[in-house]
Amino acid sequence: MNRVFLVAVSTLTVIIVAGTFAAQEGRGGGRGRGNAPRVALDGPVPRFPDGTVDLGGAWTGGGPVQDMEVQGRFKPGEIPLLPAARKLMESRTPEDDPHAYCMPMGVPRQAGNYPWRFVQYPTHKKATHIFVLWEGNIHSFRQIFMDAMHPADPDPTWFGHSVGKWEGDTLVIDTVGFNDKFWFDRRGHPHTEQLHTIERWTRKDLGHLDNQVTIDDPGAYSRPFTTTYTATLQPGEEIMEYICNENNDYGVAGGFR
Amino acid sequence: MRVTIGILVIGVSVLVSGARLAGHHAFSSEYDENKVVTLKGTVTKIEWMNPHAKFFIDAMNQDNSVTNWEFELASPNSLTREGWDRHTLTVGDAITVSGFAAKSGRNMASTRSVTTADGKALFGGTQGIQ
Repeated sequence: MNRVFLVAVSTLTVIIVAGTFAAQEGRGGGRGRGNAPRVALDGPVPRFPDGTVDLGGAWTGGGPVQDMEVQGRFKPGEIPLLPAARKLMESRTPEDDPHAYCMPMGVPRQAGNYPWRFVQYPTHKKATHIFVLWEGNIHSFRQIFMDAMHPADPDPTWFGHSVGKWEGDTLVIDTVGFNDKFWFDRRGHPHTEQLHTIERWTRKDLGHLDNQVTIDDPGAYSRPFTTTYTATLQPGEEIMEYICNENNDYGVAGGFR
Repeated sequence: MRVTIGILVIGVSVLVSGARLAGHHAFSSEYDENKVVTLKGTVTKIEWMNPHAKFFIDAMNQDNSVTNWEFELASPNSLTREGWDRHTLTVGDAITVSGFAAKSGRNMASTRSVTTADGKALFGGTQGIQ
């Protein structure tokens, strides 16, 4: 009898969870906003059966786009650029932006505009890996190794080497091993290979995900600084294929270096 | 159907797009937001491609000569999210299109809006910054 009751409760739970998931995610396959389900963005934070926060959903707006200083809620001139970094930024023009050559936008910029999603794996127990799937730009992914260590001397890369841990309901991602190629924003805020970022991702409710990111780069900034962005859930939305190089005016032939 | 009326208006205005779509390159480096072109013409080609979709129209000039213009749109994904699909415009459609002219002086513009022959207005997703 108890077993029958448990099965019934389990089945009902699965139906409810599946229904909730369907309501959040929609079934439109990301084909236009007309299919967007009506979802209360201030609804409760979804969780996996073990209580871990479910970061799922298609998000936009978790990083800077045009100007890290303005979007990061700083006053003009408040970001502590070192003289050489300021000179480098002032020499940059938007057409030189690596993004215009279909190159990645790095951390934290790549979370700023195009839709993206966190994928926690596995979900039936504590995740060992978290992936970020990016629609753009570029159409790529990032991986976060949970409760792991950085290698001693990682090769410099566009997304660096990321390790993660949960502090309560906040996902903390620590990243080193960046190259110095991407820009933090269209304005051209620079960084060096000494860049170290600490992102603190907190899902405030169903529809809002704060990204408090500390940027520590003694090669470009006189002190670490922290800036916060809030990603918004896009109900019913899915990430779509976006192959930037397909017909780019700059393109591979243009030769980004 | 060929173009029957051609109008070229280059006006001075500052236009702010309500929705900034996921474009790609730097709008400001290629287009002049103070130089608006509005043309009537016939669609000759559509490129539903990344990072920006494009279409081309034959527009008649005041001297009855025809010029082929290139109009850039947002990315196919952004347009899809705004209700477009790859069949929204087809070759031969008579349209009115407004956009921001290229700084280079080429017959090229970043699309601001498109009005189809049956009066349907479509947002083109310009000011494609980022």
